[in-house]
Amino acid sequence: MIADIVEMLQYPFVQRMFIAGFLASIACGIIGTYVVVKRVVFISGGIAHTTFGGIGFAYYLQYLGIVFIEPLSGALLFALTAAVIMGLPFIRTRLREDSTIGILWVVGMALGVLFLHQVDRSKILVQDPVSILFGNVLLIQMQDIYLMIGLLILIIFVTVILYKDLHILTFDEEFARISGINVDVLYLVLMVLIALTTVVLIKVVGVVLVIAMLTIPAAISNLFTHNLKNMMLFAIIIGCIVTFFGSVLSLHFNLPPGATLVISLAMLFIIALFLKNIKQVFVKSV
Amino acid sequence: MKKKIAIELKNISAGYHNDLVIENIDCTIYDGDFFGIIGPNGGGKSTLLKIMLGLLNPTKGTIKIYGKPPKIGRQNIGYVPQYSEYDKQYPISVWDIVLMGRRSIRGFHPLYSSDDKKATVEALQKVKMLEYKKRHISELSGGQRQRVFIARALVSNPKMLLLDEPTASIDKELQINFYNLLKELNEKVTIVLVTHDIGVISSYVNRVACLNRFMFTHDDDQMISKEMLEKTYSCPVDLIAHGVPHRVFDDHKKKKGKV
Repeated sequence: MIADIVEMLQYPFVQRMFIAGFLASIACGIIGTYVVVKRVVFISGGIAHTTFGGIGFAYYLQYLGIVFIEPLSGALLFALTAAVIMGLPFIRTRLREDSTIGILWVVGMALGVLFLHQVDRSKILVQDPVSILFGNVLLIQMQDIYLMIGLLILIIFVTVILYKDLHILTFDEEFARISGINVDVLYLVLMVLIALTTVVLIKVVGVVLVIAMLTIPAAISNLFTHNLKNMMLFAIIIGCIVTFFGSVLSLHFNLPPGATLVISLAMLFIIALFLKNIKQVFVKSV
Repeated sequence: MKKKIAIELKNISAGYHNDLVIENIDCTIYDGDFFGIIGPNGGGKSTLLKIMLGLLNPTKGTIKIYGKPPKIGRQNIGYVPQYSEYDKQYPISVWDIVLMGRRSIRGFHPLYSSDDKKATVEALQKVKMLEYKKRHISELSGGQRQRVFIARALVSNPKMLLLDEPTASIDKELQINFYNLLKELNEKVTIVLVTHDIGVISSYVNRVACLNRFMFTHDDDQMISKEMLEKTYSCPVDLIAHGVPHRVFDDHKKKKGKV
């Protein structure tokens, strides 16, 4: 098995796969922590699914020959739009949150289907819709990696600057407002951070499975720590380890990488939950 | 001696979507008061709180907090919300919660300073919770958690503490301790508390207002009367008090309250 891994690592596409996995783990460790503690998993899901529309949109523009947009840039455009819509104070206060999520979610998906339907696949190279939805790390290109690195640097920078205020906002929004934090703007920033993270993740796990990467590592981490920074750190480590082994598993047994990763994470979550409860039972009985 | 005005509400009406929840409220709270606002659920207590904290603009009337509009004046207020609204799984320690209270006076700054940390130690000492600073919120009792949120309010050195239903989740026995702590703090800061629990409030506060859409303020030496409570709660009220009962039963007119 180890010889296998070493041999695999010689292929550039496998190297890119591991690099992408690590980048995604760092992004989802940091932002996933906020997503979990602020309980915006499904807002993130909504934002993530609109990227399907963005990818379709990018291919459609390529096909029309108007302008050449990378699919990932199209995803970024749609994710940011969705994030801004979700974060607008007007929409936050006037509409039911879950309804907004539901609408954005399906509109994004439907737009993707429509755009991709219009594209004549004999004219341009289009990624298979299934691999857009469920990810295919083997298709990651170097320019995807560069975009991911750029986004990750931006995410880390903004998070470091706003760490204190995000901590207050996610813990107690009313108190944040009273403390003089511009909650409406900060919430919008959080939505944008989620959108950026989503774009970093879609190449690795695909549009549909982004929620898994955003949620599960942070949720596992939260079981074992009561400190926000540690929660981020553990989530990153968990993400890196699982992405690594998930990728190895998928290569070794020729399984779809995105789905393999998600199932690995879910299994780890169950094991973690089990261990935590064992610990609690043990502590109580002592 | 003329006392300094802390909060001044003049003819305040407010509500949501054109429905008024509170109407024509006049109320003055002085520096050093231990002021209780009581009223039934739905009587407009939280609306009034939001106005005082600058979270809601009144549809009519003016409000001044230490002479300034609430959005500026609220810097002088340490707010203690009902803690039952918190996510108990949130990864945060006692120390981090109290440190948060520094944001209001320090403004935007990526890191906490040594002054912030010093103030946090002092605030935790005031509520006797310093030894619990590393604890997670889920590892505290209701009373301890309440103290932590008071420390968070105190850490910005406010002139006033504003407490929303502070005893809602504390055992009756511990409530006495809790009010004694407030009494102690009252030597330095003004205290305003909002509650529907008539029982405990009366024996500690020096001034009371009843709020149910309209407000009845009782100044000077007037005590809460049965009549006033019945007006507020719009139903017969039996005065059953906890703690020190006698003051509750005092009537400001000759009418005798049924016990």
